[in-house]
Amino acid sequence: MAAVRSQEEGGFFAWMMAPERRGPMLVAPALIVLFVMNIFPLLWSFGLSFFNYRANRQDIPDFVGLRFYERVLTDPDVWERFQTTALIVGSSVLVQLILGFLLALMFANQFPLRRVLLMLVLAPMMLSFVSVGVFFKLYYEPTFGLLSQAVRVFTGSTYAILGSPTGAIIAIVIADAWMWAPFVMLLVLAGLVSVPKYLYEAAEIDRASWWRRFRTITFPYIRSLLLLAVLFRTIETFKLFDIVYIITEGGPGTATETIAVYTYRVAFQFFRTSQSSALAYIILFVVIVLTNLYLYAVKQREREVS
Amino acid sequence: MRLIRDRLVLGVSAASLAAGLLAGGVAEAADIRITMAAPDWPPTRFMKEEFDRSYQSPDGHNTVLDMDFIPWPSFYERVAASLASGEQKYQMIVTDSQWLGAFVEGGYYLDLTDMMIADPELTAIMEDLHPALVSAYSTYPHKTKDFIAENEFPAPDTRYFGFPQFPDTYVTFYREDLFCHEGEAAAFEERFGQTLPCTYEDWQDVDWDTFRNIGEHFQRAAGDPLGDGVADDDFFGIAYQAGKGYDFSTMQINAFIWQHGGGIWDETEAPNAQAEGVVNSDIAVEAFEHYLDLLQFMPPVAQTGQMDIFVIQDLYMQGKVAAIVDWVGLGEPVLDPNTSLVHDKSAFGPAPGLRQEDGTIDRTGNIGGQPFVLTTWNSDEVVQEGLNVVKWWLNPETQKNFVANGGQSGLMSVMADPEYNDLRPWNRAHVEMLDWQRDVWHVPDFFELLTQQQEEFDRAITGQIDARTALDSVARFQQMLLEDAGLIE
Repeated sequence: MAAVRSQEEGGFFAWMMAPERRGPMLVAPALIVLFVMNIFPLLWSFGLSFFNYRANRQDIPDFVGLRFYERVLTDPDVWERFQTTALIVGSSVLVQLILGFLLALMFANQFPLRRVLLMLVLAPMMLSFVSVGVFFKLYYEPTFGLLSQAVRVFTGSTYAILGSPTGAIIAIVIADAWMWAPFVMLLVLAGLVSVPKYLYEAAEIDRASWWRRFRTITFPYIRSLLLLAVLFRTIETFKLFDIVYIITEGGPGTATETIAVYTYRVAFQFFRTSQSSALAYIILFVVIVLTNLYLYAVKQREREVS
Repeated sequence: MRLIRDRLVLGVSAASLAAGLLAGGVAEAADIRITMAAPDWPPTRFMKEEFDRSYQSPDGHNTVLDMDFIPWPSFYERVAASLASGEQKYQMIVTDSQWLGAFVEGGYYLDLTDMMIADPELTAIMEDLHPALVSAYSTYPHKTKDFIAENEFPAPDTRYFGFPQFPDTYVTFYREDLFCHEGEAAAFEERFGQTLPCTYEDWQDVDWDTFRNIGEHFQRAAGDPLGDGVADDDFFGIAYQAGKGYDFSTMQINAFIWQHGGGIWDETEAPNAQAEGVVNSDIAVEAFEHYLDLLQFMPPVAQTGQMDIFVIQDLYMQGKVAAIVDWVGLGEPVLDPNTSLVHDKSAFGPAPGLRQEDGTIDRTGNIGGQPFVLTTWNSDEVVQEGLNVVKWWLNPETQKNFVANGGQSGLMSVMADPEYNDLRPWNRAHVEMLDWQRDVWHVPDFFELLTQQQEEFDRAITGQIDARTALDSVARFQQMLLEDAGLIE
């Protein structure tokens, strides 16, 4: 009775914070934001993918079922963009992995100016995509760009790396790897510093070679983290947009047009809203598969640690 | 009886007049805010400054022009997203002429035809505008320049939507110190048997062959003699737009195609006009090959397909190119000592063209610049005030002021003013080029047409495919897309 009176005296706030509803009330704002900003748009665009709708027209949408999914999956342009994306993702993640791994090996040791160097190496990861894109666009510029000027010192002529499809893909991979190799390094470094020192000391007593120490001690500790890095970077690179759009706009021709750039064009330049929604859901499906792999790797790591 | 009737009519008329005057007298000044989407560059910045300085509403309103300055690279996406979202943010929009179809069909741009006809001031403006501008900036479905020129305003079966905010054409920017250099002129004469163009009149006789020779002549390596000095870096003779983004190669390639006698898909003849057989005709292929041929004398960025209108402007201002073909709208920074190394060495001439069998030069080009329009959700009061802003902007005095500050006028009366050519150094070239202008398509599907075409052109520019393959692909795509859209039968 006293508690009821106290609630009445405290008014609405006290009523809300009553023990039986405190939990739901505290998570409600987050749930509302999640619903309004994520779930509702997701459901809405999912619905749109079954209608013939263009956002820049006044026509009333008509139901077309799976027509746009069929169109997207049979469109050679879409498959070409998927192949381009796969090529960029594969190359970029591989380079990030190698570079990140080597950097982590280097920074696992103590040496003069290590902290300063570590900060410098981590800097690209903290820059915005637009800054990195503009920086590399100027870096690759063939008339006055640094790369072209450096090549000219050796060959006597300027170099247009963005002038060929292969060169342009390499250029994108370099920019993306430059930005994200430090992220892989951080993950691997975390694994390296978690290896107990006594294992290396025992291996030294056993006169194990560097390779054997790496294979039997170091690698098992960082394997799951490496897998995490691969999956995380694969998911992120799969959605690569900004750097490509700024450096090459998908060119030459469509040589570097990733599936994310293509979806953007279909949605916001061609205003084929339903088709782009269907395409976005197919991409979402791919990302969900990759995310599940990622979660599986996390659980593996947890099991290993425990 | 007749006298009574006349008196009655007179009495009713007088009462109506008195009521009208009374109503006019009591109409209250309103606070009106006009938000205008505008690309962020000098012609729109000037409009805002001039509005704040000199505009007074003839209806006595307190009107604020709130310009939403949007960077060029994201201008279309921002405007399109705003319109499609239904937020109804803008009362007026500076728009590229190609967008007319998409946004008229979308129900966003207001049909101004009846208002133009009903208002003598607006009618006078429409009659005074250059027909190339009325054709490109105002009509939808599109009417050709010749049709507009042949018919008095309002032309039959024509709907009008926009007025010129900034009419633009491309002209030649050139280094006077190099082109008027005796040593360079003698070397050019010796090598090509031609006069190196120095004066405006010389440039009136420059065709693409001469432009090619200029490109070859001025190609220098670092340390080579150049004019009175030596080139401190690699130097190039010529440049024109060859970029993958937006319309940054189409605008120049269309000029070559038209000058050679070819064509693009003709929207004014829809649904009978075809794309296949026209877009990839032998003449169009020859014209495109001609365009590609000159790229070898341009800065190496041309090989990447990223040599857009801003890149060539930059290269020219950095003193790395002798002559470029670029929009008048990009001329002002060239003369600014804060941004240009060649601010005191630059002069302007008409863009080169293709010499015809009779010796004349065809300079047909693709018009640039932008109209501005009103949106459909405005109240009558805002529409009326928007039209007042149009009248203020297209007033000869405002227009002359605009021209003196780097803009251009579309009014023939202003361009005919004897002072006009002296207001800015490119004015003479602009007026000469305006007569040659045509426009690309205005249909709702223009962005898909443009993007696919730009991709194929880019492949050819970067040497992945030849001109024939590129145009075959463009023609095939356009035929399919326009058939789907019901624009080709």
